[in-house]
Amino acid sequence: MLNLFITLFAITLFYFSISERFRTYSVLIAVQGILLFGLAFLELKQVNIANFIFIAAETLVFKTFVVPVLLYRIISRTGVYKVHTRAFPSFYILIFTMVGLLVSIILSNVLHAPNVDSVYLAIALFTLFTGVILIVTHKRIFSHMVGFLVIENAVFMFSLAVGSEMPILINVAILLDIFVSVLIIGVMINRVGEHYSDLESENLTRLKH
Amino acid sequence: MILIYFISALLISVAIVVLRKRGIVRVLASLFILLQVLLTVYAFSHRGETDLKYFTYDHLGVLFLLLLTAVGTLSVYHGFIYFRYREAGRFCYYHAALVGLIASISGAYLANDVTVVWILVEATTLTASVLIYHEKTRTALEATWKYLFLCSTGIAFAYMGILFLSLSLKGSDLHGLSFGTLATLASSANPLYLKIAFIFVFIGYSTKMELFPMHTVGIDANSVAPSPIGALFSSALVNLGFLSIFRMYKALSGSPIYEWMNHILILSGLLSILVAGGYMLKAKYPKRMLAYSSLEMMGLVAIGIGIGGVGPYAALLLVVVHTLVKSSLFFQMGQVNRVLKTLKLDESGRYMNLNPAGALVLLLGMSAILAVPPSGLFVGEYLIFKQMVASQQWLILALVMILLCCVIYGMATRVLHLLFSGPYVQRDEWIPGRVRWTENIGQMIFLALAFLICFYQPPFLVELIRGGIAGIGG
Repeated sequence: MLNLFITLFAITLFYFSISERFRTYSVLIAVQGILLFGLAFLELKQVNIANFIFIAAETLVFKTFVVPVLLYRIISRTGVYKVHTRAFPSFYILIFTMVGLLVSIILSNVLHAPNVDSVYLAIALFTLFTGVILIVTHKRIFSHMVGFLVIENAVFMFSLAVGSEMPILINVAILLDIFVSVLIIGVMINRVGEHYSDLESENLTRLKH
Repeated sequence: MILIYFISALLISVAIVVLRKRGIVRVLASLFILLQVLLTVYAFSHRGETDLKYFTYDHLGVLFLLLLTAVGTLSVYHGFIYFRYREAGRFCYYHAALVGLIASISGAYLANDVTVVWILVEATTLTASVLIYHEKTRTALEATWKYLFLCSTGIAFAYMGILFLSLSLKGSDLHGLSFGTLATLASSANPLYLKIAFIFVFIGYSTKMELFPMHTVGIDANSVAPSPIGALFSSALVNLGFLSIFRMYKALSGSPIYEWMNHILILSGLLSILVAGGYMLKAKYPKRMLAYSSLEMMGLVAIGIGIGGVGPYAALLLVVVHTLVKSSLFFQMGQVNRVLKTLKLDESGRYMNLNPAGALVLLLGMSAILAVPPSGLFVGEYLIFKQMVASQQWLILALVMILLCCVIYGMATRVLHLLFSGPYVQRDEWIPGRVRWTENIGQMIFLALAFLICFYQPPFLVELIRGGIAGIGG
């Protein structure tokens, strides 16, 4: 079951590289939220009920529902539906993503962590690479934000891979992450989208010299 | 004490937002500064003690807390002046965020646990964003967006680094990952994991330290934020980034990756000075130029740490003096803006005629930041160069010297133009603003201290620096 969830998670990452619409991105973020909950449910063995509720709230309520809804709001408010402007064509992004997967697999084998399943580690690293690829290869700010959310998912997945429990400090860290994500999306909805309707990062170049 | 401090800071911050009246906000902000001073005195007199399990009043923490309290006090004072000429609208949010920022930085300075440091650094991103967006202009929005986005991404990377650390220590729990534990276990940890962990943490926290490769966000934030906040960012927040990286470096210095970390620091330092030198030669805004000067200084600090020997002592001395000088220059930028009604270099000039006291601060500050004797920075840079000669690192020495020439030329020509030349571009009729000479007193004291350090380093300062670098290299 665990391997199934991990494989499905990897498939969502590939889907990011070939998607042409921002709405697909929002759906993929929601799907990743559900899969992360499944992984947390299967992986965490020494977790108390309060922590479990916290993780369920984070993955099912926040990652699966709140964030995708906020992303949809940005899409409808700005009217920007398609990824269109990329620094590289889709085909190359797909190649980069595949290279990312290959590098992640090699790295996870080289690292050979004694306490971590190498498949788990490989996909966590692959998620990180995909987030970075989304940020680097796209020009629209919306894609950058989705890239950030994917990196957050990588961090969550990696914390699951490392420990079989979630101590209070990690929960506080996750809570702060939630705040930051909401703040970033809030700034995006209320301010950036208002001033830069086409959401092109190339417009954010007033600050020079 | 630290618990009382955090609770009081939170209450003051909430009270500022709720009560809103200018007079009350001033009282509450002053009350917070009093609390900050009390914490500093307490930390200084209880050196070596641990509070609330996760906070220790160690040498490094106390040293940086002293600096933060000094800059924070002046920052609140200049904030009051800044608002004298502006509408009260965001007065309360500004001060609530400022209290939150100073409290988060203080906590992060004193934290002895890797995860707690990370949480508090993340908290500074949130509070700092409110302050960067304060003026609500398009440039402020751009800087806020970039700051929030890149810092959060960087800090997510730092967290990955912490998770790798946990992995490298063979399953140590994250809730027991103090710097002390790390230092003890690092020598037996897998070096490859430690390298990955360090590089992630280094990249993540370089967003705060304003060091290559993640320096850009800090530079934008410094140049856009109100001057009192720019002063705090370019000193206390930069110091936070430095301290977070330095604590990790120190903890891992007993492991086999010690030399490798030194190479990373030297490489990053050189690239930082290269970027700073290049950009300072074409700077069009003095605040942005000062921000690039911070990049150059942090580059030198990284090189100082990396070359070893007397380098780490010199690097910490540079950080101390840089805090005093750079914050003074940023505070002065607020006055430049009020007097000249612009912060574009082409439109500025003859500041010496319009505000002689402020111009003197700018002139002395420029000499101090360029390490012209008798600046305290001269001692630090001299020690670093001496160490480079001693360890025969001729290439690094030559590169640093050439790049520093660019920095000196870039800054000196611009500051001297601002002080003595006429504007290159004529503006429509404008009336110069007025500034009280008393506003410069705090900046003058900071600069006097920066010059004093060249001749005399007080024993408590030497003790704090030596205590801070003790144990490097295992």
